[in-house]
Amino acid sequence: MNRRTILKLVGTLPLTLWLPHALAQSAGTPTLKFSELYGRVTVRGVEYSDKIKALSGQTVRMSGYMAPPLKPKLDFFVLTKQPMSTCPFCTTAADWPADIVLVIMPRGRELDPTTRGLQITGRLDIGVKKDEDTGFVSLVRLYADGVTAGG
Amino acid sequence: MKYLLSLALLVCSAASAADLKVYPYDGAKFVPGQRFDLRIEVENVQNFQGATVTLDGQPVAGLVQTTTKPTSVEWALRGQSLPTGLHELSVRYRDAAGEATKTARWYVVPAAAARAKNVILFIGDGLGWNTVNAARLVAHPYNPANGTATGQLAMMSGLSGMATVTTSSYDSALADSANTASSIATGQKIQVNALNVYPDNTADTLDNPRVETITAMLKRSMGKGVGIVSSAFGVDATPAAFASYTRRRGDYQAIADQYFKGDVQPDVLLIGGSRDFIPSTAPGSRRKDTTDWITDSQKQGYTFVSTRTELNAANTNKLFGLFNIDNVPSYLDRAQYKTGEALGDFGDMPYLWDSTKKAVETLEKNPNGFFLMVEAGMIDKYEHPLDWQRAVWDVLELDKTVEWAKEYAKTHPDTLILVTADHAHSLSVFGGYDATKGPGKREAVGVYESAGFPTYGDKRDANGLPLPETARTYAVGFAAVPDYCETYLGRRIFLDPAVSNGKSGAEAGFVPNPKICEEGAVTRTGNLPPTANQGVHTADPLPLFAFGPGSENFFGMMDQTDLFFSMARALGLDGTRSR
Repeated sequence: MNRRTILKLVGTLPLTLWLPHALAQSAGTPTLKFSELYGRVTVRGVEYSDKIKALSGQTVRMSGYMAPPLKPKLDFFVLTKQPMSTCPFCTTAADWPADIVLVIMPRGRELDPTTRGLQITGRLDIGVKKDEDTGFVSLVRLYADGVTAGG
Repeated sequence: MKYLLSLALLVCSAASAADLKVYPYDGAKFVPGQRFDLRIEVENVQNFQGATVTLDGQPVAGLVQTTTKPTSVEWALRGQSLPTGLHELSVRYRDAAGEATKTARWYVVPAAAARAKNVILFIGDGLGWNTVNAARLVAHPYNPANGTATGQLAMMSGLSGMATVTTSSYDSALADSANTASSIATGQKIQVNALNVYPDNTADTLDNPRVETITAMLKRSMGKGVGIVSSAFGVDATPAAFASYTRRRGDYQAIADQYFKGDVQPDVLLIGGSRDFIPSTAPGSRRKDTTDWITDSQKQGYTFVSTRTELNAANTNKLFGLFNIDNVPSYLDRAQYKTGEALGDFGDMPYLWDSTKKAVETLEKNPNGFFLMVEAGMIDKYEHPLDWQRAVWDVLELDKTVEWAKEYAKTHPDTLILVTADHAHSLSVFGGYDATKGPGKREAVGVYESAGFPTYGDKRDANGLPLPETARTYAVGFAAVPDYCETYLGRRIFLDPAVSNGKSGAEAGFVPNPKICEEGAVTRTGNLPPTANQGVHTADPLPLFAFGPGSENFFGMMDQTDLFFSMARALGLDGTRSR
């Protein structure tokens, strides 16, 4: 079964896109909402919330949508609160919202792009970090353990 | 020009295949003393043998020659200016393939006697005629008893001048905000995405040949104060066009730097988008270095403010305000919806009239007068995603600001007020809409007499503006659209009309935002390429409304570049003078 077939299946069923550890979805995993990422955002910059600081380094669960992809296969993608059309990597006047999360897939693991709502479980990492290949600067990252459709 | 070139080809025994380009372009117009960079570029060079460059028959001295690649040769001479009259630059070029010539004619207009001391230039981004009209219909509905107008927008009443403005860019019939604002700022046709520069053949976007802006000239030759106000992020094209030079409007960091290190250095800068002015070490910054313009601007004598309260309390000669990390949210989000999603922690942002009033109070301390550009920047930002209500209410905020400016001019009759736009969008009011039957019901759209009279204004907000939610509204739509779901009504939480189809490469495209479709909507098939995710600018003409001294210079059909010359004429701008 190739990835195209998987994507077609996802279109009909709330399937697991990739979930090696079924237990990762267990009740014990704390949930993080987009509205909980930041404490204050002022003209001098962004402050992380107490909750995100406390959860940093831990495995958390987040729901969101995949921002428009630039590549056919994704070893990382941008998770957004709402489905959106803005390309986060494009330097245009239309800029991406502050509350985005970079989801990094494990080495050698890629996803197909999807418009469906996604649930991510993964290790939370915060702080300013620049991807050397794309120049993309992220403030919040999830090193994914599992990605499921729906939610 | 083509005629001249073919003539040259005929008379030359061996015409070179070389491709000559001359900037300023043939047909360019200037104000006396307006500075520009001369650049000559030759491509397809075959063993370059020499060139003669003459201006009005005299050899041009000081040209710096470069060879950026084996097949090109270029010359540049920066900071030139010319006196009134017709001028002709001739380039005679020779290489192994023969000779090529190119001529550029430039006209420098005469200086005029000043009629106005101050100019307040309002630019509604995306404020085409139809958008102004939609705002008028909302703010001043017709009397249902007899169909007569109950009022007019401040920007369209008590006029002393009015014009219809056409737009185009150097390289396209369609325009973006960068080239249109640059045309207003310099009187030149400029490329899409460029700010106050001509094209060149180098990759560096900051080294292109420049044309001096009206703001730089007014400061240099007349000592006037300059202010820039925008509700958009501050390095966006329209505010940037009045203080910076780049081939690429996305050079945000360089534009931010030019505000404080360039040839304008506005005395007042009140904008959104702090992320381009804070160091890269601050989370949320878009800069790549550690420059902190909030701190450094204060070393340059600016008073820094970041809230409406601080702005209103400021009393200074140099004022720098950043009111949001991104764009200042739309009027509806600030004044009516007030959702945490839109406002975040920015609970005390100024209205456009607050910023304009404080800018004028600050600038009028300069005895030489001032030039203030005020951009209502979010009109366009909400027309692109087809959110006509957020766009139109930002026009109403602009109109209330114009109303204040007209009051100011009553006691300061040496002030010229202009209200215009940079480009249009395809917004149109085509019917009424019975909101009680909606959202998304085509049957609720009424046309002609069944449209009736909308009921906007039955309730008003704290600023006296109508609420968008009312029983009978207008059916408003856009001509240029992606595939999207139409509900005919607005929403408290902004949503993009189209979202990615999840594909990349040749299959990449956009589909209607499912969240909007769920509201109950008519699916509308787009007419833009599938790669478009939002509406686009149109070539429709724009209104210009003028009030006060010098407004007789704004009349009839005008090209956008004419606005520069009419403002220069009203102010008696002569760049050959030093104050």
